[in-house]
Amino acid sequence: MSDSSGPLISVRDARYVYATGNVIALDSVNLTVHEGEIVGIIGQNGSGKTTLTKLLNGLLKPTSGHVVVNGADTAKHTVQQMASHIGYVFQNPNHQLFARTVTAELEFGPRNIGVPADEIAERVAKARDFFGLADYMDEHPYRVSFPIRKLVGIASIVTMAPRIIVLDEPSTGQDHRTTQVINDLIRRLRSEGTTVICVSHDMPLLADVVERVVVMKSATVIADASPREVFADAELMARTNLRAPQITQISLRTVVPQGGDVALGVPELADQISSWRSRQSDRREVRP
Amino acid sequence: MSMQVGLPIGLVPGDSFVHKLNPLTKGAWVLGYMILAFTTKSLYLLYGMALVALVLGLIAGVRRAMVKGLAILLPVFCSIVPLQIIAPAVPTPWELAGKIGPLSLYTPGVYVALMLFGRIFSCLAIALVLLLTTHPSDLFTSLAKLRVPYMLNFMLAMTMQLIPVFQREVGIIMSAQKSRGMKGSGFSAVLPSFVPVFVGAIERVQQLSISLESRGFGSQGKKTSYRQVSAGPVDWVVGIAALLLPLGAIYSLTHGMLDQAKSLIFPPTLVVSLFVVCALSFLALIFGAAFLTGRK
Amino acid sequence: MTDPIVVLDEVSYVYQGADEAAIENISLRVMPGEYVAILGLNGAGKTTLGLTLNGVVPTMLGGELQGSVHVAGLNVADYAVREMAKVVGIVFDNPEFQMSQQTVAEEVALGLENAGVPFEDMKVAIDRALGMVGLSGFEDRSPLRLSGGQQQRLAIASVLAMRPQVLIMDEPTSNLDPIGKSEVFAMAGHLNRDEGMTIIVMEHEVEVMAEFADRIIVMDHGRIVMNGSPREVLTRVDELEALGLRAPASAELASLLEKDHGAWTGPLPITTEEAVESVNRALGVTT
Repeated sequence: MSDSSGPLISVRDARYVYATGNVIALDSVNLTVHEGEIVGIIGQNGSGKTTLTKLLNGLLKPTSGHVVVNGADTAKHTVQQMASHIGYVFQNPNHQLFARTVTAELEFGPRNIGVPADEIAERVAKARDFFGLADYMDEHPYRVSFPIRKLVGIASIVTMAPRIIVLDEPSTGQDHRTTQVINDLIRRLRSEGTTVICVSHDMPLLADVVERVVVMKSATVIADASPREVFADAELMARTNLRAPQITQISLRTVVPQGGDVALGVPELADQISSWRSRQSDRREVRP
Repeated sequence: MSMQVGLPIGLVPGDSFVHKLNPLTKGAWVLGYMILAFTTKSLYLLYGMALVALVLGLIAGVRRAMVKGLAILLPVFCSIVPLQIIAPAVPTPWELAGKIGPLSLYTPGVYVALMLFGRIFSCLAIALVLLLTTHPSDLFTSLAKLRVPYMLNFMLAMTMQLIPVFQREVGIIMSAQKSRGMKGSGFSAVLPSFVPVFVGAIERVQQLSISLESRGFGSQGKKTSYRQVSAGPVDWVVGIAALLLPLGAIYSLTHGMLDQAKSLIFPPTLVVSLFVVCALSFLALIFGAAFLTGRK
Repeated sequence: MTDPIVVLDEVSYVYQGADEAAIENISLRVMPGEYVAILGLNGAGKTTLGLTLNGVVPTMLGGELQGSVHVAGLNVADYAVREMAKVVGIVFDNPEFQMSQQTVAEEVALGLENAGVPFEDMKVAIDRALGMVGLSGFEDRSPLRLSGGQQQRLAIASVLAMRPQVLIMDEPTSNLDPIGKSEVFAMAGHLNRDEGMTIIVMEHEVEVMAEFADRIIVMDHGRIVMNGSPREVLTRVDELEALGLRAPASAELASLLEKDHGAWTGPLPITTEEAVESVNRALGVTT
C-alpha cells in the first residue's frame, strides 16, 4: 500500500498572502511528509500553522509555490476532490455536523467519496465502538454533550478512511479522559499506516505520540525535528513562548545533565531514575 | 481563534467638520434627502443633491471609501437605462427613437432612467457620508437620547456586530462541508449549513445573555452612557438647515414635481447608443461576476 | 475569625427536563482571598456549581435548586442575577461569546452604564479595570480584533469594573493558545495575591493549579469527592486516575517510582521545582 517512490505530502516554497490587508500568513514554507509519519505542528496562534494545514487539503491555494498531496496538486483540484486523499477534522465540531443522527453523520463522508454501502456500515460500526458512541448513534448531534460531539466530528472523518488525516487542535478544551481517547486514536491510526498531521497546543498529547514536531513562528517553519530534540531546545522553546511538557522539563534538569535521555513520558523517566539509582547502589556495594 | 472581522462599510476615522457633527444632525439630512428625492423629478435638483453629498464626502476625507460604496451604482445604472428605454415608466404615448431587431426603443425612457437613477444616487451618497463619518456607538447613543427603547437600541447594535461574525462562520462551515467531499454549490449546498449556523447562533446568544446578565445588564432605572455625544450650536444650525429639504419637497410637489420631461429633449441616436452601451456593459458585468465566483 | 465569603449548604440542582441532578449535596466554604481550583471531567458539575453563585442557576436556566447559597453575606436566592454583579463576577471559556460592544472601553462600561454610574466615575473605573488586566491603551480597539488572550482579559476587566469580591473563571483558558493561557493565569495570580480577590477557577491545567491554588476541589458526577490543599489532593495519584483525571506529572513520576520501583521515599512533589529538587537529591546530584 505504501508508495515509497516519493513523499506523500510535498510542500515546496509555499507562500500564502491574504488578499485583504496583504497579510503574509505563510512565507516560503517547505515540508515533506512520508507515508505513515505522525507529525505534530506547534506554534502560537498566528504563526501560520492553520494556514499550512488548509493548504494541504486545498481550502487555500498557495499564492506561490506548490503543494502536492498523494500525487494531487492542490492548485489543480477542488477541495471536494482532495477529500478522497486527505481528511480534515475541524477544531470546532459545530462547524462540521449537520445531519439528523450521529449515524447519518458518520455515513456522510464515505458516501460522498463513493464507498460502497456495506463497507460504510462496517466502518461506522468500527468507529462507534472505538469512540464509545454506542449510546448516541440515534441522537441528533446537537443534543449530545460537546465532548461527545467532538468525538463524533473526528469519527466522521475517520470513517472516510483517508490516507492522511489532519487534526486541528483535537484536544483543546477537552478533559483528560477525552484527550486519552484522542491519544489512543492517533496510535491506532499509526498502526494502520495512516499519515497523521496534528496541530496542537497540547504538548503532553504530542510528546508521547508523534514522531516529528514542526515548530512554526511568524509564518515560517523554524524547527522540524523529533520531539526530544525540539523540547530539549530551551532557546527554541523560549523564542516561541512554548513550554515542554512538565515531565520533559524535569528530565532536562535531572538525568539529562548526568548523561541521561530527554524523557517524553512518566514511565520513561521513572525507568531511567530507577536504573540510575540501582547502578549507584551497586557501585556502593562494590566499593570495599 | 479570534479572526479579523469587520463590516465592509464602516467608520473611516477622521477629524473633519462632518465627522464632528452630531449623528442626529446627519440623520436629519439623510431623511431630508430621501423626502426631497422622492418628491421631485428635477434632474438639476437630484444631481445637485448628489454633488453636494460628494463634496461633503470630499471634505470629510472619505473619498476612497465613498467610491467603493458607490461602485454598486454602476450595474444599477446599466440595468435601469436599457429597461426604461424599452418600457418607460410614464403613461403612453411614447415617442419612438428607433428599433433594434424586435426591440422598440423609446425616447422618454432616458429621462425617466436618469431621474430614477438620480434618486438612488443622491440618497446613497448622503447615506454613505453618514455611515463613513459616524461611529456606530455614537449613532446608537443618539438614538437612545431620542428615547428609542434601550433593548431595541442594544439589539440593533448587537446585530451590527454579529453580521460579519456570521459571515465568517458560514464561510468556515462551508469549508468544513467541502472538506468532507460535499458536492455542489449554490443553495442546495448552503442548506445543510443552516443547521450549524443556527446552532452556533443559539449557543452564542445563550452564552452572551448569561455573560451580560452576570455583568449587571438590563437593570431597571436610569442608565448613563460612556459615549458622550455633544450637541453644540453648529449641530443645531446644520440640523435646522436640513429643514430646507422637506420645504423644497413641498415646493416641488406644488409645482408638478418640477418635471423636466418636456424641456429636456434627447436625440434618437443618443437614445439608441445609450441603450446599446448600457445593455452590453450590464451583460459584461454579469458574466464577469459569474466567472470570478465560479473560479473559487 | 473572618466569615467565609462563599457558603454552599447542601446544594442540589436538576436542570429543567433532566433526569439526574447536575450537582448533589454540595457543601462548600471559601474564605476571602482564597484561590480555589475545581477539577473534574466535563459534565462533573463544575460549571453548574459556578453558576449557582450568582443565581444564573436557577433563575436563568429553570430547574429546581435545593439548599442555600450565600456570597459575601447575601443570600443569592433573594437577589436578581444582575444585582449580584456587584459582588461576584464570572467569565466563561469562550472569550468571543462574551463580547457585545464596538470598543474595548464600552465593553468595560456596560455594567457601569446599566448601574447608572456617572460619567466621571465611569472613566475612573474603566481605567482602573483595564490597568488591572494590562489592557491600558486599548480603549478604542474593537473587541473582535483582539487576540484570544486579550479578549479573555477584556472579559475579566468588564467584570472587574463592578468591583466584585469574588471572581469565578469557568475554564478561562480552554480556547487560548499558550501565550494567552499564561497571560490569563498570571493575571488571576496577580488579582489574588496583590488585590486580595477571591478566585474560583474551573480548570484542567492541573500543573498550573498546583502552583497557584490554595485549595483544590475535585468533582465527580455532581458531587465533591476531594477537598483539600494542593499537596493533599494532587498526591493522590491513583484516586485521580480512577476518576479519569490526571495528577501533575511530577506526582505521577514519584508515585510510579514509589510503587513500581521501590525507588521513592518521602512526600510526592507537585510542582516542577519540587520534583527537580527531590529527584536530584535521590540521584545524589549536588546542585
